[in-house]
Amino acid sequence: MNTDCLTIKNQDMKNQYKALKYRSLVLLAAFFLIASVIAVIALCVGASSISVTDSILALIEDNGMARSIVWNLRLPRVIMALLIGIGLGTSGAVFQAVLRNPLASPFTLGIGSSAGFGAVIAIVFFNGLVNEYAVVIWAFIFTLLSSFLILGVSRYKGATAETMILTGIALMFLFSSLSSFLQYLGTKEEVHGIVFWFFGSLSKAGYREIVMSGIMILAPMPFVFRFAFDFNLMTAGDESAGALGVNVSGVRMLSIALASLMTSGAICFTGVIGFIGLVAPHIARMIFGSDNLFLIPASALIGGVLVLSADTLGRTVWLPHVIPIGIVTSFIGVPFFLYLLIKKTKEYW
Amino acid sequence: MLRLLLSSKEFYPVRFFLASFLLSGLIILNVSAPGTAWAGDVTQAIVIEDAFGRKISVNMPVQGIVVLNSDVLEVLRSLRAQDLVKGVYSEIDKDGVFFQEFLDRPRVGSWKNANAELIADLNPSIVIAYENNPGTELEKQLSPFGIQVLRLNFYKLGTIAKEIRILSKIIGREQQGEIFAAWYGKKLDAIQKRFDYIKEKPLVYVESYSAFHTAGPGSGGHDMCVYAGGKNLADEFKVPYSEITSEWVISKQPDVIFKTIAWGNGFERKDRVFFNNVRNELAARPSWNLIPAVKKGRVHVLDSGIWTGPRAVIGVAHMAKCIYPQMFDGLDPEQIHKEYLEFFQKIPYQGVYISENLSGGAK
Amino acid sequence: MLQVGNLSFNYGKTCVLKDINLNVKKGEIISVLGPNGVGKTTLLKCLLGMIKPCSGFIEMDEMDILKMSSTHRARLIGYVPQAFPSKFPMTVFDAVLMGRKPYVRFVPSENDLEVVSQVLMSMNLNHLGLKDFDRISGGQKQKVLIARAIAQEPNYLVLDEPSSNLDVRHQLEVMDMLRKLAQKENIGIIMAMHSLNLASRFSDRIAMLKSGCMVCNGTPLEVMTPKIIETVYKIEANIHRINGYPYTIPLNPMPENRTNKELLN
Repeated sequence: MNTDCLTIKNQDMKNQYKALKYRSLVLLAAFFLIASVIAVIALCVGASSISVTDSILALIEDNGMARSIVWNLRLPRVIMALLIGIGLGTSGAVFQAVLRNPLASPFTLGIGSSAGFGAVIAIVFFNGLVNEYAVVIWAFIFTLLSSFLILGVSRYKGATAETMILTGIALMFLFSSLSSFLQYLGTKEEVHGIVFWFFGSLSKAGYREIVMSGIMILAPMPFVFRFAFDFNLMTAGDESAGALGVNVSGVRMLSIALASLMTSGAICFTGVIGFIGLVAPHIARMIFGSDNLFLIPASALIGGVLVLSADTLGRTVWLPHVIPIGIVTSFIGVPFFLYLLIKKTKEYW
Repeated sequence: MLRLLLSSKEFYPVRFFLASFLLSGLIILNVSAPGTAWAGDVTQAIVIEDAFGRKISVNMPVQGIVVLNSDVLEVLRSLRAQDLVKGVYSEIDKDGVFFQEFLDRPRVGSWKNANAELIADLNPSIVIAYENNPGTELEKQLSPFGIQVLRLNFYKLGTIAKEIRILSKIIGREQQGEIFAAWYGKKLDAIQKRFDYIKEKPLVYVESYSAFHTAGPGSGGHDMCVYAGGKNLADEFKVPYSEITSEWVISKQPDVIFKTIAWGNGFERKDRVFFNNVRNELAARPSWNLIPAVKKGRVHVLDSGIWTGPRAVIGVAHMAKCIYPQMFDGLDPEQIHKEYLEFFQKIPYQGVYISENLSGGAK
Repeated sequence: MLQVGNLSFNYGKTCVLKDINLNVKKGEIISVLGPNGVGKTTLLKCLLGMIKPCSGFIEMDEMDILKMSSTHRARLIGYVPQAFPSKFPMTVFDAVLMGRKPYVRFVPSENDLEVVSQVLMSMNLNHLGLKDFDRISGGQKQKVLIARAIAQEPNYLVLDEPSSNLDVRHQLEVMDMLRKLAQKENIGIIMAMHSLNLASRFSDRIAMLKSGCMVCNGTPLEVMTPKIIETVYKIEANIHRINGYPYTIPLNPMPENRTNKELLN
């Protein structure tokens, strides 16, 4: 009789845990829905005079100019914003998990500033203002370079979180001062262009860019999910993760490489977009808890929602000006983040 | 006796003292030298107003100028004041062919970050810089040396003639300055007076160096558009350089599009390929085929050499001709450019400065 | 049986472990004692395959642990660390679920959840299941970490000073729990210990280490003698026997000069 009672309790425990995970699943679906709703809204608003009804009609039928605007201008922008948010959110969650540091983000490892330096090189030496692909290529080269440097140092010195963070911070300072140095050499026009690049912009997003950055952001996804459970273990310390059979340094190096690729896919095409990579995982963690199986998709969705709403607001609130995306993401990300930070009370987060 | 004193080890402090005394004497002499020289001459000071709106009293005659940007350097050449240029901005090498005769001058740092020590070494009377770059720290650093910083922009069409007169006055080339300023005004007026009868001005989208960044009021590009008789799409903007969406440009349906690029120097270009490529890329942006300007081949790419700056008048002439091909059929911007280079700059006319005109006007 | 034979480990040129021989049978608790820096943790790390010994062998159920895959090893030997340094909040259930890693391919299965809830149940941690790991007491944390190792369903368990951060009651609870586990689940337990008395009371055997060498290895009654305590810890101590267990009462540290001389050598 006693045993029966225990079994019931036992079932209870498991079911409670599963209920918690189902809740997360439902929340994920809800966020997916929110993202879709915002995407539809984003498709319906803009600087042109076409009406919301026309915009919606344009999605399903050919109504001339409206269709062209919705399909050729707004849709690529919306997709790109979602992609970038997904890329930055996911890579931020990965960095925080494998570096076991809540302050880690793509920028902690100097990836943002190395991309920036690449862009500055392209603008100053390779006519990046006209030749946009020069900027993309150089930004990409330098993100790769900085992640190789970090991985190289880690190989040599041991892939601990501390080694990587310190290397990353050193690289961040190196590349930002190199950028400043080149700006010092730049002409008036170039400096202008550099400033704009650092603000970030989605105006140049076209289908070609979407395909390229889509590959860089989405291709590593399955691998990242593959390691999600390992990330859980790694947040509890390298030693115990190792004792449980996780190849800690291997997983860490590979995930850093993958997350860097995602980051560069996100920022090379659009410029440095604020702190989505830091904030999206934290917002996700406050809502979903720290289980990376849910945290990673949640960070991706929240990142997407944040970037998309920031861009939509940025291009509509002060018509016809566009408030640079990098600025708006901070404007809406920070208050939301602070609100959650103050409000969170739940025991299991 | 002195030798004895100096060689004896005991008197080492004395030797040190003597040396430092001599050294400080030298420094004082060195620093006060310009001052004493001025005291010797009977100098007169003139008061001018610079781009900041500050009244500045400049001692005449000016005996050396350090130039922090290409615009001023070009104007000084028009005023035949090459010999006064003691030092130049470091990026001059980018315009090496155009400014060949200045390449031997010492460099003093960049247009927005000049090195006060290098400037002080050259000991000029004045430094000429843009209104906002470098910051006012330059004045603070240079005032102990008696070097004045003059802020002249030379990139706003409305004030350029005035600034030419100010500059020519302080370097004692008033006659040359008057000729230049008058020529400038005349060319601009010749274009301006044609617009008296124009009621509806064509809509113009002006894109500055970065893609999807337009030139609004307060920018040189906006002034040029207005002087060329265009109605700038961005004429009610509050920000000089604002990012805009592709969608907005399309929905505004501009009749003409101008884009400027700063890459290389038009002076060294042999053909229009580069400009044409940029123009084609612009026209090929998604859905831009819906814009009248693109449909009619009225997208034009201009070199930064004739965009704002001292040669803005040439840019304006090109733009006016692009906006009103019939009305300015007789206007030959290249002739104005040739006049400018050969008569004022005293260099041979060469280079390509604008993309090929597809709308059927003159080349 | 877990067998350690002639195990040596050098850290650079410093010899940390020298010729260690040790056997752990299933169902048995062995404590490794010795002053700080004597190589206890190094020995545990060697057993877990975290570091490779310079010479000697470690065999688990007649298999060389160095030749096993890390997953295979993790199914045989569990590890209970001293601390759980997560900077991120995590439920107790999730923490214990980590122990299922050697059996999880991509995501934990229904069976994994079942095992975890059974382990929680059997260790009376049920009520903590959905609490945040950071908000439970030190004793509870230690139990949860043991639960995680049990969820690994290992044959052997390695613990690094399981009683060090606990109050007296929790020390007794945790040790008692370990002894029951050893008997009920037939698990061989090896743990590094600081407390001589807890080790004497709860261990089947005690191994004493001194400067990387094994001084002695035997039942608590064999090992806990004033002579051995003096050689290993350089203290003067009385040993009393209460309820059949030897109790050590430390009296005075031995004169320093001897220690210093040794340090100089």
